[in-house]
Amino acid sequence: MKRLFAVALGILTAIGGFLDIGDLVTNAVVGSRFGLSLAWVVVVGVVGICLFAQMSGRVAAVSGRATFEIIRERLGPRAAGANLAASFAVNLLTLTAEVGGIALALQLASSVEPRLWIPVAAFAVWLVIWRTKFSVMENVTGLVGLTLVVFAVAVFLLGPDWGELAQQALRPAAPASEGPAVYWYYAIALFGAAMTPYEVFFFSSGAREERWTRRDLAQSRANVLVGFPLGGILSVAIAACAAIVFLPRGVEVSSLSQIVLPVALAGGKLALALVIVGIVAATFGAALETALSSGYTLAQYLGWPWGKFRRPARAARFHLTMIVALLVAVAVLMTSVDPIAVTEFSVVFSAVALPLTYLPILVVANDPEYMGDAVNGRVTNALALVYLVVILAASLAAIPLMIATGAGS
Amino acid sequence: MKRRVPLSSRPFPADEQLPAPPRPAGRVLDARLHLLDRQVHDVDETPVVVVDDLEVRGTDGDEHPTGAQEAVVTALLSGPVLGTRVFGGRPPATRWHRIAWSDVTEVGVVVRLGVRGDALDVTWTERWVRDHVVGRIPGGRHDPG
Repeated sequence: MKRLFAVALGILTAIGGFLDIGDLVTNAVVGSRFGLSLAWVVVVGVVGICLFAQMSGRVAAVSGRATFEIIRERLGPRAAGANLAASFAVNLLTLTAEVGGIALALQLASSVEPRLWIPVAAFAVWLVIWRTKFSVMENVTGLVGLTLVVFAVAVFLLGPDWGELAQQALRPAAPASEGPAVYWYYAIALFGAAMTPYEVFFFSSGAREERWTRRDLAQSRANVLVGFPLGGILSVAIAACAAIVFLPRGVEVSSLSQIVLPVALAGGKLALALVIVGIVAATFGAALETALSSGYTLAQYLGWPWGKFRRPARAARFHLTMIVALLVAVAVLMTSVDPIAVTEFSVVFSAVALPLTYLPILVVANDPEYMGDAVNGRVTNALALVYLVVILAASLAAIPLMIATGAGS
Repeated sequence: MKRRVPLSSRPFPADEQLPAPPRPAGRVLDARLHLLDRQVHDVDETPVVVVDDLEVRGTDGDEHPTGAQEAVVTALLSGPVLGTRVFGGRPPATRWHRIAWSDVTEVGVVVRLGVRGDALDVTWTERWVRDHVVGRIPGGRHDPG
């Protein structure tokens, strides 16, 4: 019974934890401009994140090594250092977007200027990292984030033309108003949002934080393989809401208030309240994960003691790294840069950085010295190789497409 | 093209056992593969550093042994040598943070030490940050939760 409860809790947290500001913004923007014609990308992204999150969790549980320790060992100091610089920068950008997202969601609830909320939000994130237990932090944000299910409910309440939605989803093509370059640019953004590398750093380091062993593998597989796809369905629901309300009117989503508008239209004040709570929880959870990831990556590259299971004084440089990362995020946001714009850039740069993270994990997941008899099976390897090609293509195409399309405008 | 000689007509018995080259006793370690860039854990399983470089000395005490001399690893190095391994060059020996090879108890997926990490010179930055920043913030010395 206790075991069943743990599995259910894990799955629910995975659903709530799957969505972050990148998924919210990208899906809503894509929905408003392309309808559901890019829904297939979410499916591709979710299968990919399931594959690699599960792999990195298994590597961490069996070998006791987190992702960036492995990257350093396998690639050497130079290549791993370049990888660290890129991953850390993308992660910092994502952290900035998440903290901005918390502030925007609190602005919706309170009408108080986001720049007043930004330091409060960042301080709250730090306080939770500083004082809360890892499992409590994970479960609370994940469970409260589940209120984002109202997006799925709103799709039904809006009473859409199901035939048309299905047609958009099943016959993917760029609408007449948009060029193919923009279509593919947003496909890559959506892919980057679903597969953000910080999730893998966090997942593998989290496995160490919670002291997973081989016995926890079945549970972790259930969390990932059930939780993430359900989170993916929520992503598609966000796109569907935007497609129903904004696509026919030719309105392009550019603010958080527009992202939640379909929910408010469908369900009134109560639904709006729920969705704001959900967005605060989802962005707060993701801000915790990205802040921790900034500490994990640097500490693992340099071999410092890390982890929330240690008291801060026993992992001093790890905690200092996170404090500095949060301060940088606040400083960037205080320049009045639009968090939504930061988010759109962060998901594209995530797509650029993807191969750096996923290739070393695949290599080590096949190394019997680390994995014993738990090395990858043939099916996993075949699928992973296919994904590596997709990831590489997306990574190489991202910057040229960004320049060619003027970042999707 | 030379024709392949059939086994039966070769000038030596087909099942001749040739002497194997002498193998050193114990496990053979490749310094690059098994030592460089490995995580180092101390006696309490706390991460200490990553092996950034190695100090190699000739068995006759030579500081710059050539490939022809017999040499042994005398210390694991960390700290500023990371910069020179990435960008090239060689820091002066006074800037090296050494962990004596005699402190190493096991080389596996991680390199284990038989001493506490707190006592080592390489962890001075950790101690400095702990004593001057993190340890001074309220709650920094308590277990979370």
